[in-house]
Amino acid sequence: MERISPHQFMTLGAAVLMGTTFLPVASLVTGVSGRDGWMTVLPGFALAIPYGLMALSLLARFPSKNLLQISEILFGKWIGKSIGLLYIIITGYFGALLLGQAGDIYERSIMPLTPIGLFYLGGLFLVFYLVNSGIEVFARFSEVIFPVIVIAMALNLGLSIPRVEQGELLPILSEGLKPLFWGGVKVAPFSMEYILFLGGILTFLPSGRKELGQLKSGVWRAVFLVGILNMLVVLMQILVFGPTETIRMTYGLLVLGKMVEISRTVAGVESLFMGVWFGSLVMKISAFFFMVTWGLTTVFNLKGLKWNLVIAAVFIGVAFGFVRGASLIKEIGLIDDYLILPFTSVWILALWGVSRWKKGVGVQ
Amino acid sequence: MKRKEGHKRKIGFLFCLMVFLIFLPGCWGKREVEELAPLIGIGIDLGQKPGTYMITQQLAKAKQSGAAVAEIEERTFSVEASSAREAYEEVYRISSRIPFMGSLRVVVLGEDAAKAGIGDILDFTQRYSEFRRSMFLVISKGTAQSLLNLKLRNGQLPAMSIKNHMEQGKNLSTFPTVRLGHYLTVLGTESMAPIIPVVENIKPGGREIEYKDGKEGEEIQIKGAGILRGDQLADFLTDEETKGYMWLENDVKHRLMNTVSTADNISFGGQILKSTTKYKVIGNDGIIGLHYQIKTSVAIDEIMGLRKKLSDTEWVDLMKVAETSFAKEIEKECNLSFRKEKELGLDFLGIGRHIEQKNSKYWKTVKDQWNEKIADFPVSLDIQVTIHHAGMSSSSAMTN
Repeated sequence: MERISPHQFMTLGAAVLMGTTFLPVASLVTGVSGRDGWMTVLPGFALAIPYGLMALSLLARFPSKNLLQISEILFGKWIGKSIGLLYIIITGYFGALLLGQAGDIYERSIMPLTPIGLFYLGGLFLVFYLVNSGIEVFARFSEVIFPVIVIAMALNLGLSIPRVEQGELLPILSEGLKPLFWGGVKVAPFSMEYILFLGGILTFLPSGRKELGQLKSGVWRAVFLVGILNMLVVLMQILVFGPTETIRMTYGLLVLGKMVEISRTVAGVESLFMGVWFGSLVMKISAFFFMVTWGLTTVFNLKGLKWNLVIAAVFIGVAFGFVRGASLIKEIGLIDDYLILPFTSVWILALWGVSRWKKGVGVQ
Repeated sequence: MKRKEGHKRKIGFLFCLMVFLIFLPGCWGKREVEELAPLIGIGIDLGQKPGTYMITQQLAKAKQSGAAVAEIEERTFSVEASSAREAYEEVYRISSRIPFMGSLRVVVLGEDAAKAGIGDILDFTQRYSEFRRSMFLVISKGTAQSLLNLKLRNGQLPAMSIKNHMEQGKNLSTFPTVRLGHYLTVLGTESMAPIIPVVENIKPGGREIEYKDGKEGEEIQIKGAGILRGDQLADFLTDEETKGYMWLENDVKHRLMNTVSTADNISFGGQILKSTTKYKVIGNDGIIGLHYQIKTSVAIDEIMGLRKKLSDTEWVDLMKVAETSFAKEIEKECNLSFRKEKELGLDFLGIGRHIEQKNSKYWKTVKDQWNEKIADFPVSLDIQVTIHHAGMSSSSAMTN
């Protein structure tokens, strides 16, 4: 059985949690919370901490088992299998949508004439290679790529400072606290995507007492790192574009990247940033690909190259199925808000609650 | 056996990798530099037919003179079209090169087009991914087409010259340097009226500036600004009103200033070293107003009308007189700006935004009637000028 270290767990978790959340997050939260939207990002991501700790507490009780296996143990075979089936459908469909988004982002922003299928094929090839190489290679890949993503993001944000408009952040909390809640709700699905991944990766985590402590700190470190970075992304977009324009932009960070100029000589560096963002897309899609493979293995005992090829075919089929960018973005939002968020938040909470209850009454 | 299978799988992956390496960097959409026509400036005027625009595109083309320094040859086209895309298509046909929008630096809005509204025609510059929101916006007195077709005495393309003026704008601080991104941000606020600087050509002999007329070309300058109601040009600000706007917007970085003569017939010329404008919402007897505080540091470079040698004490007193004189000049410019705002009923100074920032509760009560409120909204000024130094000499060269 493959194992990843607590440090790898932290970087891999952060990379998966981050994914491409930094592209739509500003528009999402500003749309519901106005110019205070940036405040909602960190609390929204922080939701992953209690859920992550719940998942890890289940790991302590059921070492080397993922949450689908634990569901079968705690809820019974058929309920467990139904949850597993839902898990496969959601992760498979969402992963495929993200692959579609890879094409949408690149075609929209820097390579409008390149056939969109090339982005799908190129991305899927990398994803497929990572999945077939196993979780250890994926974790090492994230250890190399994630710091590059963070550096690129810091550069993108830092170099945008000269474009900041005066006073765009003010007034603070003029509409009260209520809109902040809805901003948090918009961010919450990102946390739940991470929890879905955590639910499957538990099998590959060490379950010793000392390691469990390290894993727990890995969860909150990843959450705070990604939450703060995303918060800065939103903050910078509101500062530069103002709230109205921030809402209007599909991928605001890409527009920021296009505005970067260094001493009036270096411009047009957005392509470099775009190259790095491709790394985060690949990691996020790989994570969902992994989730589908874990689901298939657990629920139907289907594994191996043949089934990976089937998943790849589904991914590419769904991606090609969305020919309209606007429909794709809408669909991603719908799946996030109406499937991933309710399913994950209820499932993990129920699993943890039943586990505690059964432990209390001495059933397990 | 397992090892053999793993080996085969690796070979399979390597094969796939090679296939993708052949196809993926296939450069779909690749465009060689020689195939591109970098767009430097766009001019937008109203077309002769209703619902059309006259779109002027200034393209740069490297001269093939073999000179060590890159020279740029002008290619300017004007096309009457109903949309920006249509105009680019026409230019593409004529120029046989692909217009490249990523290099666009300036959008010149003709006076009539600006009056009719620029929202629709600027949509392309926001939507199409090649454009950058860092491009400058200017309004031309007259048509943008005639401005971009000017032959300048320095040999530059008019669009490049405007871009250079705008980039140097902070050193003079007499006009706002408005980029597309800033214009859209202001447009997105509830209460503010966007402001865009005005560019015009200076005919020789027509103003205070004289230059040799002839075939050498003409000169342009950026002076004053246009105020927009939404996306439509509503009125122009004079040079002094624009300078007032710059003070009140905390946009003065450096500035060259002259004062009018004092009672002793002495006037001063100097350079603003540093300036900060702060504002606060004040309430007196239930009446809310906005109070501006401008703190400026000046270096005097020129004193006119000083006819006697001064003692150290007299010199210090004269510097205090200079401070008052500079403060009066700044106050005059600011008041002109306030007067224009009230006359037009358009909040280009962003007073509403300042109130919203400082007292959002009060703002909510007035925001719906803000355009009517501007005319009598109380504003006050406190200007503090400090003469940092008076250059390399003191007193006068003349004896008493």
